[in-house]
Amino acid sequence: MKIGVYVCHCGINIAEHVDVKAVTDFAKGHPQVAIARDYTYMCSDPGQELIMRDIETEHLDRIVVAACSPTMHERTFRNVLSKSGLNPYFLEIANIREQCSWVHGDRGKATEKAKDLVSAAIAKAHLLEPLRSQEKGIIPTSLVIGGGIAGIQAALDIGASGFEVYLVEKNPVLGGHLIRLNRTFPHLEEAAQLIRPKIEAVLSHPNIHVMTLSEVKAIEGAIGNFTAEIRRMARYVDEDECDGCGECIEVCPVERMDNFDYGLKKHKAIYLPAPGGDTTTPVIDCASCLHFQDKSCDRCEKVCPKSAIHLARKEEVEKIDAGTIIVATGHDIFDATKKTELGYDQYDAVITAPQFERLTSPSGPTEGNLVIGGMVPKSIAFIHCVGSRDKSVGNEYCSRVCCTYTAKQALWTSKHLPDSEVTVFYIDVRTFGKGYEELYEEAQKRGVIYRKGVPSEIFRRGEKVVLRGEDALLGQPYEQGFDLAVLATGLVPSEGAQSLRALLKLPLSPDGFFMEVHPKLRPLDTAADGIFLAGTCQGPKDIADTLAQAHGAASRATTVLFQGKVAIDPVIAFIDEDICSGCGICEQVCEYAALNLDPYRRVMTINTALCKGCGACNSACPAGAISLRHFKPDQIMAQVHALCLGRGRQ
Amino acid sequence: MALAARKIEPHMVPVALVIGGGIAGMQASLDIADKGFKVVLVEREPTIGGHMAQLDKTFPTLDCSSCILTPKMVEVGAHPKIELMTCSEVTDVQGEVGDFRVSIRKNPRYVDLNKCTGCNLCAEACVQRNRIPSEFDMGIGKRSAIYIPFPQAVPQKYVIDPNCCFMLTKGKCGKEPKCQKACGTNAIDFKQKEETITLQAGVIVVATGYDHFDAGLKPEYGYERYENVLSGIEFERLCSASGPTKGTIEINGKEVKRVVFVQCVGSRDKTVGNEYCSRVCCMYTIKQAHLIHEKIPDAKITICYMDVRAFGKGYEEFYDRVQREKVVFRRGNPSEIYKQGETLMVRGEDTLLGESYEEEADLVVLATGLVPRDDTQQVGKMLGLPHSSEGFFKEFETKETVATSREGIFLAGCCQSPKDIPDTVAQASGAAAMACIHLAKARTRGTES
Ligand SMILES: Cc1cc2nc3c(=O)[nH]c(=O)nc-3n(C[C@H](O)[C@H](O)[C@H](O)COP(=O)(O)OP(=O)(O)OC[C@H]3O[C@@H](n4cnc5c(N)ncnc54)[C@H](O)[C@@H]3O)c2cc1C
Ligand SMILES: Cc1cc2nc3c(=O)[nH]c(=O)nc-3n(C[C@H](O)[C@H](O)[C@H](O)COP(=O)(O)OP(=O)(O)OC[C@H]3O[C@@H](n4cnc5c(N)ncnc54)[C@H](O)[C@@H]3O)c2cc1C
Repeated sequence: MKIGVYVCHCGINIAEHVDVKAVTDFAKGHPQVAIARDYTYMCSDPGQELIMRDIETEHLDRIVVAACSPTMHERTFRNVLSKSGLNPYFLEIANIREQCSWVHGDRGKATEKAKDLVSAAIAKAHLLEPLRSQEKGIIPTSLVIGGGIAGIQAALDIGASGFEVYLVEKNPVLGGHLIRLNRTFPHLEEAAQLIRPKIEAVLSHPNIHVMTLSEVKAIEGAIGNFTAEIRRMARYVDEDECDGCGECIEVCPVERMDNFDYGLKKHKAIYLPAPGGDTTTPVIDCASCLHFQDKSCDRCEKVCPKSAIHLARKEEVEKIDAGTIIVATGHDIFDATKKTELGYDQYDAVITAPQFERLTSPSGPTEGNLVIGGMVPKSIAFIHCVGSRDKSVGNEYCSRVCCTYTAKQALWTSKHLPDSEVTVFYIDVRTFGKGYEELYEEAQKRGVIYRKGVPSEIFRRGEKVVLRGEDALLGQPYEQGFDLAVLATGLVPSEGAQSLRALLKLPLSPDGFFMEVHPKLRPLDTAADGIFLAGTCQGPKDIADTLAQAHGAASRATTVLFQGKVAIDPVIAFIDEDICSGCGICEQVCEYAALNLDPYRRVMTINTALCKGCGACNSACPAGAISLRHFKPDQIMAQVHALCLGRGRQ
Repeated sequence: MALAARKIEPHMVPVALVIGGGIAGMQASLDIADKGFKVVLVEREPTIGGHMAQLDKTFPTLDCSSCILTPKMVEVGAHPKIELMTCSEVTDVQGEVGDFRVSIRKNPRYVDLNKCTGCNLCAEACVQRNRIPSEFDMGIGKRSAIYIPFPQAVPQKYVIDPNCCFMLTKGKCGKEPKCQKACGTNAIDFKQKEETITLQAGVIVVATGYDHFDAGLKPEYGYERYENVLSGIEFERLCSASGPTKGTIEINGKEVKRVVFVQCVGSRDKTVGNEYCSRVCCMYTIKQAHLIHEKIPDAKITICYMDVRAFGKGYEEFYDRVQREKVVFRRGNPSEIYKQGETLMVRGEDTLLGESYEEEADLVVLATGLVPRDDTQQVGKMLGLPHSSEGFFKEFETKETVATSREGIFLAGCCQSPKDIPDTVAQASGAAAMACIHLAKARTRGTES
């Protein structure tokens, strides 16, 4: 065996704290090292060429590179080996930058440690085995979960790129929160003008299959080849048969608070899921419908002149295959009742910002007239950061949109109710986006008063709700009465996301939103290959940022679809079936659900597409039946021996 | 299931032109190239990387900027589908989506890309060694007339500064140019001329980034008068472990003990014509304050602010952490900075306390905002792109920040509006998606079944 050792200076990054010449000379002393060199930047083209030339002229068969972390350049150097006709896995990296020069001040000792790491790498290099990555075909389809603006846009982009898309939405209608907004900041366009054309485009796109009233029940497989079970709730009212006469709604005896209007309006158990003529086919809310409690009522079914209602219908489960998945499950609204001191559940004159959107929206319960308790409010307070930047409710994070949507709502109020007095209570005003500061300015110009210091308490005095707090600028307490107080409720992780998270095995950030795999450079990717994030499910954001992310997620999700295949990393676990007794301990420790029991042979099997080579199973296996390729016990022990020898040397 | 029939469009050249090789242009290029389409990435400077390469650590997770950027740069440089043109500028664009005809001027590097090994012997030999202020180090460090902008540059090739090199300005350099003599591969070529090439592209991604607000426009802050008043990006270089001071925060050889940060310099400020918020300065200031605290635990650090805009994921939490590090947040920007002996005096009105303050400082860092590139107008004219009122390129609609009014031309990163790295990267992937929708029309795939 002929080993080549290459020691990198990394400019001065390594050379300043490690004597690279000494490390190189040390390597030369190893019996099987045919050649050892040092160079300023091994990763540079000339550095790579140096290695390639040696492989050719010296007939090297194993390479050790002593440089930075393998996460940086392992791929670069593997390519060098491939190009020279060597198996790319005949490479071992000794990390003498992050593990040596960057963390040790004493040059002598750092150099000794670098030597140890190099000997360990040489010891392992002896035992490296050739590995080959496999390729697998893919299903040229994406599954998009969540039909808010994020999911809709991602589906449109993927469809337009020529791939099939399944768009799964748990509600009866698409559009998420956005469809319920009135106008949108910063230019106060109608939300409907933005979302309706997109909904229509998605519904009519030949590549896009929209599944409403649907939820993902199970997911199996890995990047390129996922299989999802979709539970499709029954549509008791047949969309083709129904002519939208509305008689069923009239006869329904049940009244309940509606979620669409954030509890502002009562609805029947059979109802139109979206106002404003978006749909004329009613749906049934099974949670309140008497038929689904005790079968005591079937009036709607009886009354329907078209016989379009079929209460006996059952939910169905559909299986779909997809190469990639986009999670776009959005957010929920902070529950303002948790801030009891703000009196939201006590006073009608305290409402939330989403309710304000509905009350000012032409499609809302009051047809866009802001009326509270039969009166048009004359003095209105907006209160920032309700449920955001508030550790007392466990939400330390900023919800990113409330400052600007409050500026929008305040401006709307001052325009539509010119006689009203509008005051915004804030901590910091975070109007950071393009055109947002200008919106904030305009609101102020129109006479909206900004007061620093959010109220600690809201109570009733006579006809008014009174805000009590401390004005941080005046350094004085205030008590001010208003006809209406609007709570700028923050964005919280969506409830539906919880079950999905477990299905997809995705980690969450400390704030409870889905976690991207790298906060800077991979903001749309998750820890699971082939699963991507779009929109507010990843963290609060406005529509512009949501759309940018949705386009971005579509790009990430179509990459493998365009490639038409996936490569499977060979550095994964494998099982010695002669030893494995199928005890299943490994299955419990596997984060990626890559291990399954073969019920017939009673041994564990590994899904090579799911295994990430993390090493959890092989260390847990009590029998030593599992090992990890490229990190086999003898390879690791050789490294350990070399390191121990190094200790002896000193 | 059959897919919608895909017709071959003869007028879709399956090539994307990406203008600007900052993190936005790099991400867009990688996303497009990974899908199998050819990318021509045109970068004006001798290396890709943009501003992100100059940053020390990045908020809020404090990963070292060049550590996370370098692998990406390497990937771009090595990608078989990306043709990288550095020292190059797009000079003309004709045609329309599907078939843009693009002229690119390749400025001379005076170093043969194929021969240079990046060994540094030329820069060591240069008669002007360590005499010329390094642009990359914001003038805090010095370089030679032949240089590499920073060690991790891609391509890892030297370049001659035509405005400083004696051979290029005066026609001679001693008896013979020392760099040429030192070069072992005969890579230096003073006779290189600029050349213009033309090529066709189906789509264009504009990723030309931003400039820094010139703090000299706020004379009351003394940026031009006092050497210990720095801009945000200068502080990044001063603080960087790979920077000119190796990360020691010293002014004239003395460690600083009192530091004042001033927010919104050139942002939210109508007196300089910038009403908009620059979106990253609050966070980069908080980050910089933290970095000082880490290096000089007994330093007294004050941040003067208007509103603290810590709105991104993990940002508020980071703000909270830095507050607990005893960094003082003072609401109210200074009206004036002046010198008393060796000490800077920062004077202003604290709007929370309702009284005026005077803070002493060894170092003042101005959180200079992000402004449009000064050639935005020119580039916009060439591409037929309008700009919005604050001067950045105008997106198609306020909420569609990736598309533009011209079909087939897309925006990525800070050239559209200031934003942090995560938002830049997400948008850049978005631009790639939109670009590939067009490019896909040039392909047929046999995946239907
Ligand atoms: C009061 C208020 C005012 C606002 N005003 C503005 C404004 O003026 N301008 C602006 O830019 N932004 C504004 N925003 C922010 C804007 O609403 C969001 O940016 C946007 O709605 C986010 O869209 P999304 O698709 O990420 O999430 P969502 O709108 O929440 O959509 C997610 C969708 O996924 C579905 N879903 C969830 N879980 C599942 C599951 N497990 N299976 C299937 N489907 C699921 C949901 O039913 C929903 O339809 C405002 C927000 C609020 C609260
Ligand atoms: C002091 C400071 C600290 C910061 N700290 C952080 C931080 O900690 N975390 C964070 O997330 N963000 C931070 N940011 C923001 C970050 O710098 C930007 O988000 C990011 O660099 C934007 O990248 P970009 O590619 O859009 O632009 P740029 O980095 O400006 O890149 C644009 C590229 O295009 C090239 N170019 C320009 N015009 C042309 C042309 N006509 N032809 C060819 N090429 C051209 C340029 O040479 C450049 O390489 C900070 C910003 C500053 C000022």
